[in-house]
Amino acid sequence: MRTSRARTVALAAGAYLVAIVFLLPYVEMVITAGRTKSELLDANYFPKHFTFSNFTSLWSADGLGGNIWVSLRVAGGATLLALLVAIPAGYYTARHRFRGRTAFLLVVLATQMFQPAAMLVGLQREFVNFNLPSATVSLIIVNAGFNLAFAIWILNAFFSSIPVELEEAAQVDGLSRIGALVRITLPLAAPGIVTALIFTFITAWNEFLVALTLSLGSPPGDRPLTVAIDGYVGQYSTDWGHLFAGGLVATVPVIILFALIERRVVTGLTAGAVK
Amino acid sequence: MKKKLTGRVAGGVALVAATTLALTACGGGGSSGDGSTTLKLVVADYGTGPDNASSKYWQGIADAFHAEHADITVKITSIPWTQFDQQVQTMIQNKQYPDITEGDYFSNYAEDGLLYTASDVLSNPGNLLPAFKDQGTFEGQQYGLPFTTSSRTLFYNKKLFTQAGITSAPKTWADVQADAEKVKGLGQTGFGLPLGAEEAQAESLLWMLGAGGGYQADGKYTIDSAANVEAFTFLKGLVAAGDTEPNPGTVNRTDLWQKFAQGQVGMINGSPALIPIIQEAGVLQDSDWTSVPIAGKSGPLATTLGVCDNVAAFKPNGHQTQIKQFLDFAYQDKYQLQFDKEYKLLPATSTATAALASDPVFAPFLTALPKSIQYPSDTSWANLKTKIQQTIGTAVTGDPASVLGDLQKSATAGS
Amino acid sequence: MAALRRLTPLAWLGPALVLIGVVVLWPVVVMVQSSFQHIGGEGFVAGYNGTDNYDRLFHEPDFAAVLLRTLVWVVVVVAVTMLLSLGLAQLFHQRFPGRRVARWALIVPWAASVMMTALIFRWALDPSSGVINLFLHQIGVVDKLGSNQAHWLGDPHRALPWMMAVAVFVSLPFTTYAILSGLQGIPEDVYEAASLDGAAGLRTYRDITLPLLRPAIVVATLINVINVFNSFPIIWEMTRGGPGYQTSTSTIYMVDLKQGNVGEAAAMSVINFALVIVIVVVYLSTTRWKEQVDR
Repeated sequence: MRTSRARTVALAAGAYLVAIVFLLPYVEMVITAGRTKSELLDANYFPKHFTFSNFTSLWSADGLGGNIWVSLRVAGGATLLALLVAIPAGYYTARHRFRGRTAFLLVVLATQMFQPAAMLVGLQREFVNFNLPSATVSLIIVNAGFNLAFAIWILNAFFSSIPVELEEAAQVDGLSRIGALVRITLPLAAPGIVTALIFTFITAWNEFLVALTLSLGSPPGDRPLTVAIDGYVGQYSTDWGHLFAGGLVATVPVIILFALIERRVVTGLTAGAVK
Repeated sequence: MKKKLTGRVAGGVALVAATTLALTACGGGGSSGDGSTTLKLVVADYGTGPDNASSKYWQGIADAFHAEHADITVKITSIPWTQFDQQVQTMIQNKQYPDITEGDYFSNYAEDGLLYTASDVLSNPGNLLPAFKDQGTFEGQQYGLPFTTSSRTLFYNKKLFTQAGITSAPKTWADVQADAEKVKGLGQTGFGLPLGAEEAQAESLLWMLGAGGGYQADGKYTIDSAANVEAFTFLKGLVAAGDTEPNPGTVNRTDLWQKFAQGQVGMINGSPALIPIIQEAGVLQDSDWTSVPIAGKSGPLATTLGVCDNVAAFKPNGHQTQIKQFLDFAYQDKYQLQFDKEYKLLPATSTATAALASDPVFAPFLTALPKSIQYPSDTSWANLKTKIQQTIGTAVTGDPASVLGDLQKSATAGS
Repeated sequence: MAALRRLTPLAWLGPALVLIGVVVLWPVVVMVQSSFQHIGGEGFVAGYNGTDNYDRLFHEPDFAAVLLRTLVWVVVVVAVTMLLSLGLAQLFHQRFPGRRVARWALIVPWAASVMMTALIFRWALDPSSGVINLFLHQIGVVDKLGSNQAHWLGDPHRALPWMMAVAVFVSLPFTTYAILSGLQGIPEDVYEAASLDGAAGLRTYRDITLPLLRPAIVVATLINVINVFNSFPIIWEMTRGGPGYQTSTSTIYMVDLKQGNVGEAAAMSVINFALVIVIVVVYLSTTRWKEQVDR
């Protein structure tokens, strides 16, 4: 009994230590955001004076409020679109063996290898040609596209792990095939859907390069948060205080979101991969 | 200002003058039915955040202009300077032509016959500073109209100098070395030498000029000239002696300027844009620093690096008359001065320069401006510049002659 | 009717194919096309020029070194990430008070954008005022602040390990969670059976846990390889590939080229993709992943 107690203490201590190491860089971010301009480059862990001005001035008349709303729409829209497209694809590939199935899954996997950074020029030319009403729409489409692979794969794995007999039983009970999917399978796959949802949302929320390229034709208030924060990196000086304060504003909601579904992430991540 | 603030003039096919004439003849007017016109103005954003965004400055001009010319509305799109080239390029490729751009100017557009000449759209083009005329000129015609300029001087921290027992401003390389050595003795950085990728081409040119060198002589690249090698050999010694920050080849201007503003650097080459950074940091008082002409090998330089951003007026929408009315309005001295004071840049017209000549802050920068040297403006410069930015910093740790020799090779091998 | 049936998959997969085509494949086509074009400094296409861009690229003095560095970067970062994650997952899989909170902390680098994390590390490594240097100075590793020695990112031989550490740092949360998820999927009775057989400790781990974790490890490794290969913000924000190109990987090199010569940058992208595909195929064939697909 005693050894087990000591073991638990050691485990907890080790885990807490790791947790602290993971948090430290972001603590430094908070501290820097709280430094006054004159103490910005002082060599100390904590400044003598602490200021909130970097946080409060983020919300000035032309501040980040509008940009957060744009980011919410982009990330939310991309998530919705990606799921609408990925659920049927993930479901069908999980339930049916058909010609081209492997090819389809490999194409999907291949898209994971193409990162937007490498294709900026092509994307930009393409989306300007579409003449879409706003950069927000373009960004929703692009983010949905680049996150589709992960969503399809994870949903495919989840649907595969749900016994097909359940659906068949429901159909015997008079549900249509779509009805069985919606009423029986989707709820069972909820952890996988949530995982795909959160992943897409967070990736789209943090996406920077494409947002930078496609949103600059819009007024400053219509650009996503990451682009707005990057504005604090000026040509002649970097406004570290505002940069880190803005970075925190962008990060905290994501952390909360993640923390809320932490348990689901664990179940969802390699779902079905391990049976 | 753009990372380079320079126009790039393509050499190339002629025919343009003829096309220009033909198009000008049938240009002008052409607007919506009710006789009102909307001008599309695309500007580079020089601000560091929403508070001083360039769109505010331009909106002020546009509103004042609209009050006088009710039939013309100016619609402003501002784009961060890092993305300006790419965005304008996309607009042109998709035939969504702006009427006026302010930022980088591309001779390609002149070559394609898309631009009005200076005299087409400005009543008094002679007022533009002649030093910057070449950069905006293509086939003998000026298409790029300098709107804002900047030049470099040597800043030094008088407080550190006094503490180190230095009594006079650095004028020669020997002064720089001796003074840096003394400042180093105080535990601070002697000379701030930003040769990192961000802006190495500017710092390098200032030292090349100091030895009588430069990127080009008579329109030919001379990157590995004896004078340039001498300049980098001197810098190498300075670095080896520890009189600069460590590893200058990896250190960027933004970081070093901030350190100068915090009082941690003795000397640094800067432009007026460094002034607000010093003031915002709140560590140095106005009396704690000053700026003097760039130190050369054997004395202060009469010249310096000058850079400018240009206005270009586009033909395809056919708004020549309205563009001319707007540009005449925007080039008034009062707007030139407002722009310069807001962003700590320098004027681009002779009258505005004269108006600023007695200003204690701007005067030191204005003296060398009319005689300033610009970056090369041929087509290979764009490609070459990124190579210089990335590699020239290695010359102060490696072998100056071979690093500059490699750059010369890519300069002359270029398209 | 039969023809209609053959079209059913299209109804289910069509939207996904359209989206992939528009967002991913079309720009790839443009990119491949650009790699055979002469494109001026300002992006004007001046016609096809055969394999000129590739010739130029292969003759760049830094090309071979950049490719080699990219491979080292991917292998080291992914290998270290996997090893550390296996340990961390084991630790966070145990029961102890406050596990939930500790796991939350693990999530933070995942939630923050990589660009922000890279900027924080650059900031903390500042030679004269960075807190990492301050700490290293206090424990006696760094003799003097503001010195050459404190300028970690200025020397390629020291900058690269630091940036690899950051790359590992940002990859750990995802990987650890992937393995945690795998651990959770291993039924308790497997262990009970093993302990009846007298297996214990490391042997259980090697003989039972690891084999059962294989699918999770394969998936996590694969995703890491792709991400790490393309990881752009870390090096871009910390050294921009300098001094010279001495800390550039292929993606950074490509972006540098893009500023001067779009065609050559496109050629670099094509090479880049070819490399990822080769690495992935090699990895998949060694792990026989296809069995997973056809499960």
